[in-house]
Amino acid sequence: MPLISKKLTLSMLIFVCHSQFFISQTSAKEVNQIDNDEPKSYLQLLKVLHSNKTISDEQFQTLKKHAEDNAKLLEEDSNDQDDDLAIKTEGGLEISTYDGKYAFELSGRLMYDLTAFSEDINKLGNDTSIRKAYLGAEGKLDYDWGYELTIDFAGGDADIKDAYISYSGQTGWLWKFGNVKEPFSLSELTSSKYSTFLERPMLTELAPGRSLGINTSTYGSHWTLAASLTSEAWDNNPDDEGDEGWGTSVRSTYSPWHTDTQALHFGLALSYRDTDDEQKIKFDSRPETNNTDIKYVNTGKIKHVDKLTHIGLETAWIEGAFSVQAEYMFTELERESDTDLSFSGWYATASWFLTGESRDYKFKKGAFGRIKPYSTSGAWEIALRYSALDLNDQDITGGSSSISTIGLNWYINDRMRTMLNYAIVDNDEFADDDGDSLPSDNPSYFQLRLQMDF
Amino acid sequence: MNYLPISLLLIIMLIISAKAGAKAFVISKVSDNPKKHYAYLKPMADYLAKNLAEFGYTEGKVLMAKNNRQMIRYLRKKKVDLVTETIFSGVLFQDKANAEFLLQKWKKGLSSYETIIFVRKDSGINSFEDFKGKTIAFEDPGSTSAFYVPAAMLLKKGLSLEKLDSVRDKPESNAVGYIFSNEEINTSTWVHKNLVQIGALNDHDWNKSDHLPKSFRDDFKIIAISQKLPRGIELVRSGMSIELKNKIKSLLLNIHDSPDADFILERYQKTTKFEALDDNIEQIIKYTRNMLTLVNSKLD
Repeated sequence: MPLISKKLTLSMLIFVCHSQFFISQTSAKEVNQIDNDEPKSYLQLLKVLHSNKTISDEQFQTLKKHAEDNAKLLEEDSNDQDDDLAIKTEGGLEISTYDGKYAFELSGRLMYDLTAFSEDINKLGNDTSIRKAYLGAEGKLDYDWGYELTIDFAGGDADIKDAYISYSGQTGWLWKFGNVKEPFSLSELTSSKYSTFLERPMLTELAPGRSLGINTSTYGSHWTLAASLTSEAWDNNPDDEGDEGWGTSVRSTYSPWHTDTQALHFGLALSYRDTDDEQKIKFDSRPETNNTDIKYVNTGKIKHVDKLTHIGLETAWIEGAFSVQAEYMFTELERESDTDLSFSGWYATASWFLTGESRDYKFKKGAFGRIKPYSTSGAWEIALRYSALDLNDQDITGGSSSISTIGLNWYINDRMRTMLNYAIVDNDEFADDDGDSLPSDNPSYFQLRLQMDF
Repeated sequence: MNYLPISLLLIIMLIISAKAGAKAFVISKVSDNPKKHYAYLKPMADYLAKNLAEFGYTEGKVLMAKNNRQMIRYLRKKKVDLVTETIFSGVLFQDKANAEFLLQKWKKGLSSYETIIFVRKDSGINSFEDFKGKTIAFEDPGSTSAFYVPAAMLLKKGLSLEKLDSVRDKPESNAVGYIFSNEEINTSTWVHKNLVQIGALNDHDWNKSDHLPKSFRDDFKIIAISQKLPRGIELVRSGMSIELKNKIKSLLLNIHDSPDADFILERYQKTTKFEALDDNIEQIIKYTRNMLTLVNSKLD
């Protein structure tokens, strides 16, 4: 055999052996089994072949480089574990496996409120409180199953908030079984962590809120659809001999455009509820501060209500630092006496970020999310809201109230903020907390919050 | 003769063999947030597995790699079939694990992107020559457009880069200091506040107000813009049959025909569409490889 052919054959042999040895690894176990001295032996062999002039300088350098690279990778391989966990923290804790099979997250929120009233007729009393003290855990198991359990410890009791098992194995749909918010109202579905004012507008008293049942949702590039079928709230007394009521809600949103700084949102929601055997319904609302027990607008218990129907209309528009948002709700109560009642409420909000940020529209949920300040010194927002709720109809004189609020928010960072609200309350002659306070009361108040979530 | 035990045994064997025969089509990407990315990639994995049944695939799976090294290992061990990544990672996987470029991806609606190197208008910096003794903020060591590309651009101009531990440190007078900001908004804020003098972002982030507020942008000027690079690349593992590769390619290129296309693409990192590799892809790969080599050889 000519010398050149011999060299070629030998080189090929080395290459093949080398490739087989270093590249065709099929499991971490096999990799770990390789004797650490082998790469050295291979390099020695190359050196011998090179000194014997069996391989050229160029071949030697190429093979040597390749061998060194692979030896380095092998060494790194033996130090690395493929079953590591991804661990993250932004104050809380997030742990997940790299195959998406398991995840766990610990989170919480704390809100500390101070309210100073300028009283008119009724005594309201300045007050401070821990408004929310949430601690929550959520996670996923076996790819498609998940859970969330969030408890509010504010006020000394354990109040269950979200508590559900979820399933995401059906393409495009997320199912939740347990205690969750029914899909109704932009303001209700935007987390209190992200709301522009300290308290949600009064009309959310007409929204169904959380209840036990099944909830499903999906979304496309410009729309969302969610529906629920529920029984009662989690704290409804199960010892009660009567049958529970049940309800169903559907919400759809449409957003023709949504970028980081611009969005337009429309929403429509319908909710129907068949009341329980007691057939009593009550609507009441505090004057958008939790630091008073007076609920000026209060229908008291309305008896013999068979069915409830709610309709909600929503819109929001974000253009850079400026945004507006409005909702209208209408609730009809069907009574045995055929004298149906209807209540309604609405609000409109305008907000402007002095520091240039935009409100974070989450099109997948049709709700608002977290503000991330542009600057390390935080973000400043000024906002106005006019809110109204009318609980007067026929024989029911629950009262009518309107509240004008101006708010100033300082987002210290993306997890902390302070909020200052000044509100002027205007109550009508029926707004007397179902007889427990004097009507036509027109107080005003300052309200301050310090908030953190993790 | 009692056939029951035999029948039961047969059924058990059938079940076991069906289980043993389960073959997953696996999509992968490098991720620091596997929970989030799992939800993004799973519908695509399911879609491909369903349409690749003729190749024996029975289910779609997702497996994230914590870093490029782990992805190389996955590719070599054939643990993953399709990888969705940036061009820089793609070149690395091609070189180290013989992964093959398959298609380009319009990620978040963009076919390509470029790096912008910028400074404050009043900084007195007008060209690369003025960079010496100054500091540049990159995003993070894994970023293509906000680390590899701008770092290579500086190195190609003959500048030497010195890694700084803190934004308050100063580089040697003949070097350019660099520091990772971790967030685009930090890069733009640091430059605006003159904590660093130079910033690097891709053109998409340059135009996003939450990464670079307009009021900041008005105070900045651009010193250099890089060559355009594909926004996303789909790669397949080595050793995949031509038939399978062609089928995957055809499925992705024609995914719009599927009724679930909007749903899958929206989640698949807001992909607008897939397209065949650029005619210039070899030149782009070469350009990328040169920059990768340059950065890796000059920086730790």
